[in-house]
Amino acid sequence: MLVVENLTKIYPDGTKALDNVSFTVEDGEFLIIIGLSGSGKSTLLRCINRLIDPTEGRVTWDDQDVTAASGPELRRIRREIGMIFQHFNLVKRLSVEQNVLSGRLGYVNPNMALLQRFPADVRDQARATMEQVGISALAHKRADELSGGQQQRVGIARALMQEPKMILADEPVSALDPVLAHNILQDLEGLNKQGITVLCSLHYLDLVQRYATRVIGLREGKIVYRGSREAIRAMTDEEFKDIYGEEAVRIETGRSVSGG
Amino acid sequence: MATRTVVRKERRLRDIPPALAGLLSFLVPGLGQIIIGYWELGLFYAGSALSLVGLIIWRISVIAYKQETWAERIPVAFSRQGILWVLAIALAALWVLIVVDAVRSAARKRPRNQLGYVIILAMFFLLGWQIVDIDLVKLVTEFGDAVPIISRIAWPWPAAVFREEVAFQGIEIIYSDCDPGDVPPATPQVSGEPYIDVAPRCGELSDYGVAGTLLTVHGSGFRPNEEVVIWWEDPIGKEFRVRYQGDFVTAVTDENGAFAQEFAMPNLLIPPSAGEGPHAHILKARQTSFVGGLKPSKELLLAIEKMVETIFLGMMATLFGVALAIPVSFLAARNLMSASPVTLAIYYATRFILNIVRSIEPIIWAIIATLWVGLGPFAGVIALLFHTIAALGKLYSEAIESIDPGPIEAINAVGANWIQTVVYAVIPQIIPPFVSFTIYRWDINIRMSTIIGAVGGGGIGFLLIQWIRLTDYRAAGIAVWFIAITVAILDLVSSKIRERYV
Ligand SMILES: Nc1ncnc2c1ncn2[C@@H]1O[C@H](COP(=O)(O)OP(=O)(O)OP(=O)(O)O)[C@@H](O)[C@H]1O
Ligand SMILES: [Mg+2]
Repeated sequence: MLVVENLTKIYPDGTKALDNVSFTVEDGEFLIIIGLSGSGKSTLLRCINRLIDPTEGRVTWDDQDVTAASGPELRRIRREIGMIFQHFNLVKRLSVEQNVLSGRLGYVNPNMALLQRFPADVRDQARATMEQVGISALAHKRADELSGGQQQRVGIARALMQEPKMILADEPVSALDPVLAHNILQDLEGLNKQGITVLCSLHYLDLVQRYATRVIGLREGKIVYRGSREAIRAMTDEEFKDIYGEEAVRIETGRSVSGG
Repeated sequence: MATRTVVRKERRLRDIPPALAGLLSFLVPGLGQIIIGYWELGLFYAGSALSLVGLIIWRISVIAYKQETWAERIPVAFSRQGILWVLAIALAALWVLIVVDAVRSAARKRPRNQLGYVIILAMFFLLGWQIVDIDLVKLVTEFGDAVPIISRIAWPWPAAVFREEVAFQGIEIIYSDCDPGDVPPATPQVSGEPYIDVAPRCGELSDYGVAGTLLTVHGSGFRPNEEVVIWWEDPIGKEFRVRYQGDFVTAVTDENGAFAQEFAMPNLLIPPSAGEGPHAHILKARQTSFVGGLKPSKELLLAIEKMVETIFLGMMATLFGVALAIPVSFLAARNLMSASPVTLAIYYATRFILNIVRSIEPIIWAIIATLWVGLGPFAGVIALLFHTIAALGKLYSEAIESIDPGPIEAINAVGANWIQTVVYAVIPQIIPPFVSFTIYRWDINIRMSTIIGAVGGGGIGFLLIQWIRLTDYRAAGIAVWFIAITVAILDLVSSKIRERYV
């Protein structure tokens, strides 16, 4: 269970990116965070695993105080929480396999990893994970040779190597076309069904309606909307615009497309 | 991403009468524009016009340096260098243009400055031409002086090899300051060896303007149909080729290996140490032949040796330079050092030192290093090393600054520790630029080490300068060729390595 209490983040330049944000995520939820660009979604997700240090407030993950954790303790928490990114954040010059293996760095003996070597069981695990997300054939390609969708699958495989209990996904499909967006989100949905909690920020209402079990909406760092699965399914464009402000447009992403 | 609108600030212009603006710009070029509010343009005009005036005054005082007063100098300078007229007219035109521009600007017309820029540029060009003494005529008419040197440097290979020579010669002793009736017997003939018969064997050496005794040489037993060269060895053992009527004395043997030749006894100075006469001289009729194959000359061997020294000089400077530049570059990378005021201070200090060291040319470092550790390749290594650390430190740190933070974030997020993050997310990103900069630097260092050598830093540059000073242009040509070949090979190698890693 993830508990976020009174989280505030003020950047050194004075930008208040999060303003007293509190919410709770039960195990097994698919929580989607919506909000306009600059509303603080990325900041929020990064405060949860402390890639960014919050200014105030507390994050508790499975009864461990993340905000108070330091050094090895923080790394132990981080390795239970997978993260995938809008721009994939793969190490471009390394192979797909090495990128996937790097997801296991929090578990292996650090000295071995210095030589970019991993134990045989970890390599087996990587092979199985690549199989699972369908990138086995690409194992020896360099990461920057892949298409966007393939790269995001590598990102997912890397997160899965952590055997995470929770996945943070920061706009995982914004750089992908609509068909691929559904593919990736279906992958995440599958993982969610296996019991992994998912926190995901998204921009498109129809994707939100299709995948979320719960939604929170941010505007200027504050939570301005909390909705259940039912509430979000019933949401109209007008309500959506309320959260997003007048600029938002609903973009038709071809909801009927399915695939794997 | 939030978009940021850039608001262009409206320029606030002051209203002044056009005539006043013109007058101000007439007194000080650009002043009118500055007052109106076009201060950048005004400063530019003021700066250019005033520096042009200053430069013209300086040229006049240089050209007419003997004249005491300006009243004398100006006419003298203008008559010596016609180009000053052009400059004066252009300056006047520029002045008018600036005044007109000030008037137009005051009247709120769009400023049109292109002609002004052209005039300013042209004037600087003309002054530059005058200052650096460009003389295209000389460049063409005196090209002939450079041809022998260029051709030797361009094709030095005759000096790169030689063949051993053996002499096949007959000798006879000739006397000067002697009594014709009292000449020792002629050298006896030995069968199977070349033999010369000279008559007379006692005579007078040539003196300035007065030809000496005419000698007739008959040779036999030489190799047929080959050139014979006449050599002379004076009483103190100095050997030289004999000249007669301006040419070296030579003969060609007939099919029996015989020849006959006539020439006057040469002009030479008998030192007092040789004592009173008679003085004995040795006349040698010599055929030479080459034996064995071509052998490398000592110049060639020396050039090879020094080229190897140069390559290693560049290599050592690069290796040490890389080893020291890497830690330095981390200190000079802003993204790594902006965490606290202390590290930021270190960052600024490192940058500052690197910039200073880098701005001092390797050749100056070489002079410092030769004073420090003495002449030789070690001084060269030190000289290159300083510059390499500074240059690579800057390039590396820029490579570190431009790495993508995304992968670092991702590797941090999986729970990796600091060192794992460096190995997985930082090093893979900086290897390509590091490899490429390092090779580039190696390339520069090899080329630079030839110049470093010239000021005492060892290597082939040292040799090259020595040979040029000795006017041994063929040997210098060998060095030049070696440098060119090495640089070309290095270029090829470095481009291949770069292809592989980048
Ligand atoms: N490192 C930083 N320093 C200063 N301000 C920052 C920094 N990172 C983000 N911000 C500001 O914090 C606010 C929230 O940014 P954040 O990236 O969390 O928004 P977001 O909702 O993820 O936007 P997007 O949908 O465009 O990714 C923005 O106003 C942004 O400009
Ligand atoms: Mg974001």
